[in-house]
Amino acid sequence: MVITVKDLVKRYGELVALDHFNLSVEKGEILGLLGPNGSGKTTALNCVLSLLTYNSGEIRVFDRPMAPDAYDIKRDIGVITQNVAVFNELTVWENTRYFCGLYITDKTKLKKLTEEAIDFVGLNDYRNFYPKKLSGGLLRRLNIACGIAHRPKLIILDEPTVAVDPQSRNNILEGIKRLNEEGATVVYTSHYMEEVEQICTRIVIMDRGRVIANGTKEELKSMISLGEKITIESGDVTDEQVGGLKTIPGVSAVSYDGHELVIRSVRDQNNLEAVLDYLRKKKINYGRIYSEMPTLNDVFLELTGTELRD
Amino acid sequence: MFVHIFTTRLKCLLRDRGTIFWTMMFPIVLALLFNATLRNIDARAEGFQPVSIAVINDAAYAEDTPFQKALEAASTGDDRIFSLTLVTREEAESLLEAGTVSGYYAAGDPISVTAGSSGFEASLMKTFADSYTQTRYAANDILEKDPRSYEKLAAAVSEQTDYLRDAAVSDAEPDSSYSYFYSLLAMACLYAGFWGLREVEDIQADLSDRAARVNIAPVKKGKAFFSSMAASFVISMSEILLLFAFLRFALAIDFGVRTGLVLLTTLVGCLIGLSGGAFIGAVVKGSENLKTGVMLGLTMTGCVFAGMMYQEIKMLIEKNAPFVKWINPVNLLSDAYYSIYYLPTLERFWLDIAVLGAFIAVFRAGTYFTVRRRRYANL
Repeated sequence: MVITVKDLVKRYGELVALDHFNLSVEKGEILGLLGPNGSGKTTALNCVLSLLTYNSGEIRVFDRPMAPDAYDIKRDIGVITQNVAVFNELTVWENTRYFCGLYITDKTKLKKLTEEAIDFVGLNDYRNFYPKKLSGGLLRRLNIACGIAHRPKLIILDEPTVAVDPQSRNNILEGIKRLNEEGATVVYTSHYMEEVEQICTRIVIMDRGRVIANGTKEELKSMISLGEKITIESGDVTDEQVGGLKTIPGVSAVSYDGHELVIRSVRDQNNLEAVLDYLRKKKINYGRIYSEMPTLNDVFLELTGTELRD
Repeated sequence: MFVHIFTTRLKCLLRDRGTIFWTMMFPIVLALLFNATLRNIDARAEGFQPVSIAVINDAAYAEDTPFQKALEAASTGDDRIFSLTLVTREEAESLLEAGTVSGYYAAGDPISVTAGSSGFEASLMKTFADSYTQTRYAANDILEKDPRSYEKLAAAVSEQTDYLRDAAVSDAEPDSSYSYFYSLLAMACLYAGFWGLREVEDIQADLSDRAARVNIAPVKKGKAFFSSMAASFVISMSEILLLFAFLRFALAIDFGVRTGLVLLTTLVGCLIGLSGGAFIGAVVKGSENLKTGVMLGLTMTGCVFAGMMYQEIKMLIEKNAPFVKWINPVNLLSDAYYSIYYLPTLERFWLDIAVLGAFIAVFRAGTYFTVRRRRYANL
């Protein structure tokens, strides 16, 4: 195991930030830690990194107890913090070299790794730029370069794509996949479910300091009763017709707001063809049709009763 | 690792233009302003002109021979303080109204002083009249008791024997204006606190994300902090030495001949500034702005109490709350500089340095016990 967390409890006065939190991360996986703001993701990671004290529990990294002076363990960890953590007075090259140099003492190797990290995040054209001259997306890339330059075996990314443009976001996500392919184990926290779905091989969903679900995205979606969601643009559906749609086998709910008809199906049931047949039979005019499979947000909604982005 | 952190940190801090301005350029600008102001005051003092006054030439004045003689003495010779005109009361009033004279005396008991304003000239006239009246009463008392002593008394009054003798404490010329520059140098030393403040900000994971990143790295926190502080020390010491050289060679401020002790004081000043800033950064809870405010507030209060803006305040503090001078690092530093320059013995200097050393020890211990924490309750 790369990370093992057992029964971790962290309190801020009366507030329980982590409530018997358990986590295990296996070598080679990209684990997504998903949860709304304030669910305890960052607190959990800071405890794992020995930055925060905790009330009880056990943390092991690379099968060894984690502690502030566990330098052998720290040497193999790379962290990309939620906020950009670089020096404004140092250039892209100097920042990357400085943080890499806290792990690597050999000068030749340090130079090589710095070059590779800057190349990896696509900042070659900006190597002599100061952070103030970089856009938000480029700054995030620099933040990543500073965290991964020393080639860590475990990379922890805490919401690295907050306030990032789509191009940089794709660059970052692709980069994380590449790092994983090159052998790094990745722990990725986010409240953007699309990102987690896109890159993570396993997902842990957190709420109020506890793990409420754990598995691959398919496993998580299979935990809930909801299936396909069909949305149809239509302006002339009567209450009687809405009632008729509800009688189609496998349909669990139908709603209509005067413009859009939303039909939800039970799990593993595809109703698109039956619904379209019904519309044609009843001569209901319709426009665009969307069909969506359940998302992690639906999983979170069903498990907690609240939206993931609340 | 030391070299890696030290050199990068040096580069980083040297590019921090804001802090460089406040710690180096600002004291130099202040030194120039002090120099311009104090030189102007010296020029005014050197160019003293006798005060034009009038005396009402009436019967009372004609009868008061001692007063006539006293005024005559004060308005003749190279060191005369008055330029005298004998006039009638009406003429005196019109001269005063026209601004030709600063005031006029009318003989009598007591002597009447009428001055046009409450400035320096009026004070001089009043002081002269009071002094004359005191002497006259004293002389009358003596003559009543022993009329035979008249001749001796007349000789004594005319000679105005000064029983206080100027004894040079050292070869150095006493110059109160130097105190302003010594206080300024002390202020610059304390401004090294800006660097200390920043060092703590960049090593405490609960204060900045950069610090969190350093705390996550496989580097001993103490080693990282020491390496960074060493870079801050080199920069602040260089800045203060530069200011010292500017004061010494560009503005010709005399620091005496004991240059080694001046450098020692500067070193201690730099250490107390750095340590003080780090201490405030470590123990004051709040934003970076709040900490900067606390540091600036304490430093400037220290400067005011050390007489950097007005030397009389320093005297008032020494008279009414003498303990304050011992808890004011600015005062201790400027006093150490003055002791080196002016005093032949070094007891006072070493006492200042010892108290400053105690301050450094307290600041360092306080910072150490706060910064040594490697895990935090909150981030």
